[in-house]
Parts: sequence; structure tokens; C-alpha cells
Amino acid sequence: MPYREKSAWVYLVAILLSFGPYFALVAAGHVPMEGLPNLRMMGYYASACVAQVIMLAGGHIYLRLSSPEDARTPPDERDRALMHRSRNWAYYVLITGAIWVGGFMPFFSAGWYIVNSTFFMITLAECVYYITLVISYRKQS
Amino acid sequence: MSTGGTISNRIRALRFNHAEMSQAELGQQIGVTRQTIAAIEAGKYSPSLEAAFRIAQVFNVPLDEVFQWQGAPGA
Repeated sequence: MPYREKSAWVYLVAILLSFGPYFALVAAGHVPMEGLPNLRMMGYYASACVAQVIMLAGGHIYLRLSSPEDARTPPDERDRALMHRSRNWAYYVLITGAIWVGGFMPFFSAGWYIVNSTFFMITLAECVYYITLVISYRKQS
Repeated sequence: MSTGGTISNRIRALRFNHAEMSQAELGQQIGVTRQTIAAIEAGKYSPSLEAAFRIAQVFNVPLDEVFQWQGAPGA
């Protein structure tokens, strides 16, 4: 498995393991949606961010130590083509999210619902980016 | 305008004829990874024109000895 594919897996797993529980807690109503300063909500979000950074750092340090030669190689034209394709798919998700969160939600929702929906759409777009990248590498395309 | 047709290549045979050059060695010479050479050989990825010329240059043959275009019937 090439280094860039392993890296994409690390990103995907880190996102799912850090923000998955956060959005699950929010969706289940375990976090109060009260106004600012909602330290509990911000604390959960900060914890998810820190967890993601730790997983990304740990994963990439491990990858660099296990295959230093591959890690030093810059992305080639196929890597860039796959990243470009993945970015296209993620962009559609992000723009759909922006229209939903900014164009529709203000008419029937407010506060943390909009904030968390924004975070969710950004996270979803990131997931789509890395899922498309991993699938492209798996299909050898 | 029809876009049917496929690109095939003889990279595997050319590598074999050049002292059984590995995919990694070829990739190193043209500046791509071994996985990219494997994808090109399998016909899953079409390289840029520059990479195609570089591959032909490594084997010291014209471009159309490396890559062949088979247009769709009636195209």
C-alpha cells in the first residue's frame, strides 16, 4: 500500500474516531444546546479536535518511521489527479452543506443547531474527500 | 464527437526487454511512484503527455511503440 493511501486512511480513521463520538453525543441530545458560553459543548468539541490532532500526529509519525523513503517522496501526477478528483466530490458536499446551513437553517433553527450543522457538513466533506481518495487508490485508478 | 476508444501500452514487454527493469526503477527514472507505473501498465491510469514521452525516452523508442490508441468502431 503506498504511503499516500496509508496517510488517507489515517486521516479518515482519525476523523471518524474523533468527530464520530462528538456528533453522536450531540445528535442523542446528551449535550445541552444552551447559549454562550456553553462550556460543555465547547469542551466536547475541543476534545474532539485534540483527539484528532493526536491521532493524526501519532499515525503519521508511525508511517514516517516505518517507510521513511516513501514519506519523503512528493506526490506524483497520479496522486495529484486522485486528490483533485476527491476534492471535486468533497466540494459538492461542502457547497450543499453551505446552502443548507446558511440558506435554509436560519429560517427554522438557531444557535448551536446551526453551528453543529456547519461543523457536521465540514466533517462530512472531509470524510467524502478521504473516502474517495482511498477508493481511488484501492481501484488503482 | 465520440470519445470511445482505449489506450493500450507495451510497458511491461519493454521493461522485460530492458534487463527486466522493475516498475520501481522505471518510476524512479521518470519521477513517479511504482504504484503509478503499475496503474499505467494495467490501463487504469492514463499518464500525462510528459510522462508518456519520458517513458518512451527511457526505452529509447518512439512514443507509439509504447502507447497505442484503439479507437471505437465508427469513431
